[in-house]
Amino acid sequence: MKKVVIINLSPRKKGTSMMLANRCREFLSVRDYQVEILHLYPNLKNLSPLLAAINEVQSIIMVGPCYINTYPADTVYLLEELEKNRDVLHGQDLYGIIQGGMPYVHTHESGLKMLELFAGENDLSFKGGFVIGMGAMLNGQPLDKLLNGKKAERGFQYFLENVAKQENSSSELYHQAQLKMPGMVYYLMAKMMNRKIDKERRGKGIGDQVKSPYDNTGINY
Amino acid sequence: MITILSDHTRQEVGERLDKKLRERKIATEFISLTDMNVGPCYSCGGCTDKTYGQCIHRDDGDIILPKLMRTDVLVMVTPVKWGSYSFKTKRVFDKCAVIGDRHYYYKNGELVKGKIGRVHTFVAIGVKDQWQNDEKSAFENLVAENIKIMNIKGRVHLVDASNISVFLDSAVEDLNQ
Ligand SMILES: Cc1cc2nc3c(=O)[nH]c(=O)nc-3n(C[C@H](O)[C@H](O)[C@H](O)COP(=O)(O)O)c2cc1C
Repeated sequence: MKKVVIINLSPRKKGTSMMLANRCREFLSVRDYQVEILHLYPNLKNLSPLLAAINEVQSIIMVGPCYINTYPADTVYLLEELEKNRDVLHGQDLYGIIQGGMPYVHTHESGLKMLELFAGENDLSFKGGFVIGMGAMLNGQPLDKLLNGKKAERGFQYFLENVAKQENSSSELYHQAQLKMPGMVYYLMAKMMNRKIDKERRGKGIGDQVKSPYDNTGINY
Repeated sequence: MITILSDHTRQEVGERLDKKLRERKIATEFISLTDMNVGPCYSCGGCTDKTYGQCIHRDDGDIILPKLMRTDVLVMVTPVKWGSYSFKTKRVFDKCAVIGDRHYYYKNGELVKGKIGRVHTFVAIGVKDQWQNDEKSAFENLVAENIKIMNIKGRVHLVDASNISVFLDSAVEDLNQ
């Protein structure tokens, strides 16, 4: 039986990254894989459970959110610590999944590139990844709830098959699955979401012109 | 105002740039991340649901974020790891979401977000002992996406030992405008 570890790079245990991690587990556990999901954030003080698990497996899947166009800061920390403990890295396959609020894939793709460069320097075999937009709207709900649900579902399924067979997964899969809408739709989406944001602010008694709590130029820190 | 945020780990490009700008009497604020301790964004929603616009976790973000609120130009000087910002730099960058404009805008056929505070220009300076081509393009792409999503002006510089002097002179000219 082959072993795979899925690492949840999101601080949230019930978000979209975890929904995708669970999808990976369901798919691989019925295909002769022993699957373990581990969370990064509760282990930040002591990464040894993660290092030990990585040492044992054939494949690693890193799944996380996109923060400012790439994985969160603490993913960089995890990679730095893995580099320091290089003896646990010995040719395992590495796959990445990144998902974020914006609908396009180019805005999230840098995360996968980071994993690829890391793998190249540290005796891992990067075999590709999957990128999903509108993960914030999804907020942990199943993939088929996306506007491009059918396409995303199909692409992700192919990706999982690649993982199960330890094959390279082409970026074509997630490029083809991405939502394509005329500009007008995005223009209207922006209007709609902004109205919601402003309504929320007014509901909290915060006007549109309110200063940020950090904008206290009088105080000297 | 120009604010330079610098992760000093194995580089002193930020300090040297700050010194040169001061010599030219250009107003700068220099923030060294060396002794700063900024925690992660836990995506807990506290900055929306509890204290709107403010992180509920107390750390040195409380020192850094007010400074970033009053700058027009943000210069991030960072060692580059695998085509990405250093861990310390990225911790700060992630927290910048809390002082970012939450609204969406429509630009070039796509959705984008707004700026951080009132920053109108973002300059990323990546430092590396030796650059490989694929890491160069990875960092350039990442910064280009940052600039796109923040809907502001910006540029990226790739610095190593061989081009630092030339870089410093041209960066000073560039930031003087
Ligand atoms: C600090 C922070 C920064 C973010 N930056 C981006 C971003 O640059 N682009 C984007 O599309 N979404 C961004 N998001 C939204 C998240 O990627 C999105 O909500 C994601 O689905 C969260 O995944 P999770 O549920 O697994 O935590 C950001 C969220 C946070 C908290």
